[in-house]
Amino acid sequence: MTDLALRREPLDRARLLTLLQEYGVYAGVAVLILANIALTPHFLSTENFRTQAVQVAPVLIVALGMALAIGSEGVDLSVGSVMALSTSLVSLYLGYGVWIALIVAVIGGAVIGVANGSLIAFIGVQPIVATLALMVAGRGIALVLLPQLKDIRDPAMASLGSGALFGIPYLVLIAAGLALAVGFTVRRTTFGRQLLAIGDSRPAAQLAGLPVRRVLILVYVVSGVLAAVAGVLASARLQASDPTSLGTLMELSAITAVVVGGTPLSGGRVRIGGTVAGAVLIQLLTATLIKHDLPPSWTQIAQAVVIVLAVYAARERGKR
Amino acid sequence: MPSVLTVSGLTKVFPGARALDGVDFAAESGEVHALIGENGAGKSTLIKVLTGVYRPDEGEVTYRGKPVRFATPLDAQHAGISTIYQEVNLVPLLSVARNLFLGREPRNRLGLIDFRRMHREAEEALRALGVRVDVGRPLRSLGIGAQQMVALARAVSVDARVVIMDEPTSSLEPREVQTLFGVIRMLRGRGIAVIYVSHRLDELYEICDAVTVLRDGKVVHTGRIAGLDRLRLVSLMLGREMSEVRSEGVTKFTGAHGTGDEPVLQATGLTVRHTLHDVSLSIRPGEVVGLGGLLGSGRSETAKAIAGALPPDAGRVVVAGAAVRTGSTPAAIRAGISLLPEDRKAEGIVPGLSVRENIALAALPGLSRFGLVDEKRIDRIVETFMKRLRIKASGPHQKVGELSGGNQQKVLLARWLAMQPKVLLLDEPTRGIDVGAKAEVQSLIDELAEDGLGVLLISSDPEELVEGSDRVVVLKDGAVVAELTGDGVTEGALLRAIASKGGDDD
Amino acid sequence: MKPTALRRRTTTRTLIAASLAAGLALAAGCSKSEDSGSKSPTASDTADAGQKVATPAGDAKSCTIDQFGGTKLDIKGATIGFSQSEKEANPFRIAETASIKAEAQKRGLKLLTANAQSQFSKQISDVQDLMAKGANLLVIAPLNSDGWGPVFRSAAAKHIPIITIDRKINATACKDYVSFIGSDFISQGKRAADQMITATGGKGEIAILLGAAGNNVTTERTKGFKDEIAAKAPGLKVVFEQTGEFAREKGQSVTEQLIQSKPGITGIYAENDEMGLGAVNALKGAGKKAGAVKIVTVDGTRNAVQGIVDGWISGVVESNPRFGPLAFQTLDDFAKGQKVSQDIVIQDSEYSKDNAKADLGKAF
Repeated sequence: MTDLALRREPLDRARLLTLLQEYGVYAGVAVLILANIALTPHFLSTENFRTQAVQVAPVLIVALGMALAIGSEGVDLSVGSVMALSTSLVSLYLGYGVWIALIVAVIGGAVIGVANGSLIAFIGVQPIVATLALMVAGRGIALVLLPQLKDIRDPAMASLGSGALFGIPYLVLIAAGLALAVGFTVRRTTFGRQLLAIGDSRPAAQLAGLPVRRVLILVYVVSGVLAAVAGVLASARLQASDPTSLGTLMELSAITAVVVGGTPLSGGRVRIGGTVAGAVLIQLLTATLIKHDLPPSWTQIAQAVVIVLAVYAARERGKR
Repeated sequence: MPSVLTVSGLTKVFPGARALDGVDFAAESGEVHALIGENGAGKSTLIKVLTGVYRPDEGEVTYRGKPVRFATPLDAQHAGISTIYQEVNLVPLLSVARNLFLGREPRNRLGLIDFRRMHREAEEALRALGVRVDVGRPLRSLGIGAQQMVALARAVSVDARVVIMDEPTSSLEPREVQTLFGVIRMLRGRGIAVIYVSHRLDELYEICDAVTVLRDGKVVHTGRIAGLDRLRLVSLMLGREMSEVRSEGVTKFTGAHGTGDEPVLQATGLTVRHTLHDVSLSIRPGEVVGLGGLLGSGRSETAKAIAGALPPDAGRVVVAGAAVRTGSTPAAIRAGISLLPEDRKAEGIVPGLSVRENIALAALPGLSRFGLVDEKRIDRIVETFMKRLRIKASGPHQKVGELSGGNQQKVLLARWLAMQPKVLLLDEPTRGIDVGAKAEVQSLIDELAEDGLGVLLISSDPEELVEGSDRVVVLKDGAVVAELTGDGVTEGALLRAIASKGGDDD
Repeated sequence: MKPTALRRRTTTRTLIAASLAAGLALAAGCSKSEDSGSKSPTASDTADAGQKVATPAGDAKSCTIDQFGGTKLDIKGATIGFSQSEKEANPFRIAETASIKAEAQKRGLKLLTANAQSQFSKQISDVQDLMAKGANLLVIAPLNSDGWGPVFRSAAAKHIPIITIDRKINATACKDYVSFIGSDFISQGKRAADQMITATGGKGEIAILLGAAGNNVTTERTKGFKDEIAAKAPGLKVVFEQTGEFAREKGQSVTEQLIQSKPGITGIYAENDEMGLGAVNALKGAGKKAGAVKIVTVDGTRNAVQGIVDGWISGVVESNPRFGPLAFQTLDDFAKGQKVSQDIVIQDSEYSKDNAKADLGKAF
């Protein structure tokens, strides 16, 4: 589809914008890696790449769910609070073992997802409002369940957070596996196709008899479950359950990754590869600025610039 | 009587369309002037030029003897041209009085709003229109009719010379309509020119003095309404002069189809508030049933009610002997009903997806195993239909949004044919598509009927309707007024039915 | 109404009800957390580790009940109102509230408490409420430094003395309120610097994990630290300053980046314990040995002091949350008519490897 669109356009501003939106994120990642190799001491090391990959893993997992929500012409602001809820539940149920705790946390995420999806699909609340409500409620519940940070000493959780298989950290393996799974879901399943149709034109999808409500609810359930998994992994990495600060502003990082990755906010399209690259781009950007000890406010400004560029490319292209 | 507002030689061109083409029009003081025409005739564009929303490309607007060119709607309003739209465009949360005086509130010496004076004047203004409401209440607590009266009072109290009303009765109860007419008569008595846009013929004959008919951006008739034959008025609107009605048309329809005996679709008593009143129709397999009527007569709503997209307040839909749950699109589709909606771009195609995905969209669950899409089967089906319907695209992966209207329509047809439906509801299937594609779509409809489908054909084009249908059901103001069968399916009969007088409004 | 609409609404209700039920089941259900070694601090744990005054009363401006304009009363039989600013969700707030409650119990006083849950408007109405319920003396841990006018006016009308703890209010001491009891954050930074100098021998490159931006605690702990380093150890260089936002996760992430790009870092100054513990996580994850990088933190939570015992942390400067004994002593003295200081800066203790093990029980 992409190749076709490119072939038919002359080399002009429109084509440049297309290129920027389609491949800008990959180019950005490449440029950052090259710049860091040149400028940052000790950048080119296995440990460094492992650090970046481990740090980006939870953000990426959340961003995958966000990509689906945005693809359905919605958004999920509750992801950060779901992470907090998930970390509280893990702490509360760890006594039964890691697996039970994980399952309970995932159920918690799914419940928030059902609530989000029901508000949106049945009552017709705007996604931004519905998920904002659960963003507030979710962290509230998390803090009721676990009012303060609590250490995790379970060895299985410790190994989940810092262990590795063939030198690749579990966190990274899980994130990669989930990215592949979500990518497959979007491309090859009925759910994925219906999601894109609903995101592109909800009235048309409705008249074509698509199960719009079921699909929308499922979208937010998937997003909630992924955020819960991210919460478990972040807790494992931290060796603590910290509902007070875990996942704060996560929704913004995830939306940034998705948008920078070229998924339009207007729905109808989901780019999983782009989302992965978008998350990596933001991670590298942050890492670069930290490593060079630039003021933290610069990180925010740099992120803002990247977002504006991404949205500008998408918008200008949409205008054609 | 002097003309207060005249336009001459008005032309407005949009990319790809001449919305107004040398229009002459004059509204006189103390006269109610009807402005009518079918979809795309240019009514809205004309109103928007008169009120300063659009600037004309050519021609002149003269207001109170001087040539004018309003830059914004506010300019026009200040000059004394007020417009009342279908949807009341006031502030629902503010009080009635605030709405009446929005932007020109009476001030006291301190520059603050003088509420007492404002309320008193608001009450007086409304009483003058025969409306008694508590002007301190928020506007939204009033009924639609009363809200419209407030909009009217606002229009009148700004010292309007011209009041334009765009379908003011579309959401009013009959009683409220009479109140509105009382007010319109009062305005006329005060020497105000009223431009009245409506599709309800009975209303036009009741309240209007003059009429201008637009078609395809041109004025096809203007004159007094008294003495103008209803049938002639309808012919003018639809562009079918009675003398022109030919026995042999230029459409691609072949004529009658062999039809089965038992109806495949039976809709009875469909009722939707303000929209449909007890509409019943049936379609037999292999039959094309036309649904005629003017714009706003309830044609699309009937189709949507049958297809589950518009939940009816009452009524039944039966397909092949089995009752279908109303108000549910999936249920209707499962029963074998397929709808090609009138607004193809907004409700039909999914523009960002490919031809392939659009065709497979509705049939997707059937083309999947365990939730996984069977790509090979989809490829086969898409190939078959692209060939059979002669869909012109650079390939199955081209975005549907990039196709021509005719090909988009064929993609939609393919989407539904892939579902193997029993009944096809086609709402304006040939509107906005070029002549060649139109002929293709028309012969496709014929073919499908011959294959045994029941087809409901909605069209504003009397010729297409008469030649394409075995039977025509005519709607007027949301109710069935006639059914043409056999030799009775002629354009003349259709126009006469549309023009017929009265009709029992509830 | 239409049957479809009705059905839709019923389905919605069922779904929402099911969600809520499931949520409650998760919350209230059969949870079982792991047995962690740490116990939450109890009143008896903390009671003995009260505060000491760093500046002797008398040399600063003082206040008496006559100056303030009230009447003497016996604190016994008086009702004391305590308004806490934030939810007791971190060790500092937990210990602070626990200390006030324990001291009131010890002295046999009637105590009313309220928590503003980080909402300033709630704190204002909390305090009004406490007064309405009959509090004659108030202890306030303010959320904001400004905006206390309405409270002071109603307190003045009833001649109710107010003592603020841990954060100062921008108002006139001995008129709007009696005294402020709190820590000197600049001095905490200085003492952390002293610990860092001892741990590193005054040479090397150090990193600072800053607290949340725009917070006076952050700026003062940074200023004290840097001033002291500049004055006493020119051999120590601050080469890295990034915010960890007072959170463990952020402290860990930032430290991970730090040790990748500056593997030779000598020491890390974390402006609170949580970030310091995050730094420990990062060092462990990178395979460093305990003590390879010197970490100094501020707060004095039990986890951090345990970190000294385990060898990962070199020193912890305490920010003492146990305001109970000193606050009640001040109120008692004041009510009896004695002179009290308007600004009572309390002495924070500190932990190093010499006393960490012995004083672990004192940490909050």
